[in-house]
Amino acid sequence: MEQISEGVREAFRLVITADPLVTSAAVRTVWISLLAVLSATMIGLPLGTLIARKPFPGRRLVVVLFRTGMAVPTVFIGILCYALFSRRGPLGPLELLYSPWAIVSGEFLLALPIVLSISHGAVKSLDPRVAETAFTLGAGPLRRWITDLSEARVGVTLAVLTAFARCVTELGIAMMVGGNIKDRTRTLATATALETGKGEFGRGLAMGLILLAIALAVTGFMGALSREERD
Amino acid sequence: MPTLAIQDLSVTKNNAVICAANELSVEPGERVGILGANGSGKTTLLRVLAGLERDYAGRCNVNVTGRERVYVHQTPFLFQSSVLANVTYGLRARGVGRIARLTKATEWLERFGIAHLKHARARQLSGGERKRVALARALAVEPELVLLDEPFAELDEAGADTLVAILAELRETTLLIAAPVELPQGVVGREYRLSG
Repeated sequence: MEQISEGVREAFRLVITADPLVTSAAVRTVWISLLAVLSATMIGLPLGTLIARKPFPGRRLVVVLFRTGMAVPTVFIGILCYALFSRRGPLGPLELLYSPWAIVSGEFLLALPIVLSISHGAVKSLDPRVAETAFTLGAGPLRRWITDLSEARVGVTLAVLTAFARCVTELGIAMMVGGNIKDRTRTLATATALETGKGEFGRGLAMGLILLAIALAVTGFMGALSREERD
Repeated sequence: MPTLAIQDLSVTKNNAVICAANELSVEPGERVGILGANGSGKTTLLRVLAGLERDYAGRCNVNVTGRERVYVHQTPFLFQSSVLANVTYGLRARGVGRIARLTKATEWLERFGIAHLKHARARQLSGGERKRVALARALAVEPELVLLDEPFAELDEAGADTLVAILAELRETTLLIAAPVELPQGVVGREYRLSG
């Protein structure tokens, strides 16, 4: 118990004094996750809404596959990316292994099914009169798509935030293809694991607390959005 | 050339005919009431004419483009935005400039007596107010063909009188109005009955 309270005190000290190691890991974690989620959103959002709106043979199977993708362990994605980026892998010549870009790629694969599946569900569950009203008022395909996103905005935002929360807190991909290299690929999750493993409980706890703060902020935002939806 | 012509049109769902219309031809500017009991297929017929129902048998020629016809649901859907944004929607889709569409939308809201609600959230309106907003939104684009599904339902007496007066002013617009009972006098020139 004493160890925990000492750890919490140390955590606050590191956060308040803006410890360089903690700060750099936090900043790196956020930009890597933002980039991964942004690219996943740019692909997943149009695809998710397209799959929701356009029937085609095998649509249900595609949806099931992407839903399954939401539950894939990050370690598995990490192994997959490792196989792709390792020297003998198909993307080996790009020399991305143990770089932040490898983590971005892995987290993109983590975020894509989340953004796609949740946004697909949000658009699919819209009142059918949304599309009909837009169509009968003369809206073209692009305006109808924007209208769908606007009407499903709470669900779409939840999709993006959920993907971001998952990326920020993931460990498997960052460890496997990032290698936890100081000042290069160390993220909050890998730093937490490393520091705790070394016996630096306070430092590990500080990283964990920042992760918790980010997760709380995202959850709070999601809660506020859900309340707005109910209102 | 008639605005629309139907011959032996039928819509079947789950092996049951839900709409059957033998022959109907509507000239430009004509107003026709589609009358029939509940379940006779009035809504389905309007949906076919609006281009929302494509799975039908028979002949259905609508000689106006998709942008020149509007359809208002029996229970209209309003977008999650302000009343003004809803009424400008169709104008925006047609590339009408900001000032022109705001002016036109305000004008139509005034005609329906709901200009004071233009900044209100559309989803917070009463059923009758929603109906008026949806009608203003549809008529603001000045379409050639207007398809209204039970437009007088949910409207109070004043709202119904306003709508009758507005429809009377639309001299060149072709109107098809579905209703389960007789429409107010002067709203339509003739009636077409669906037996169901």
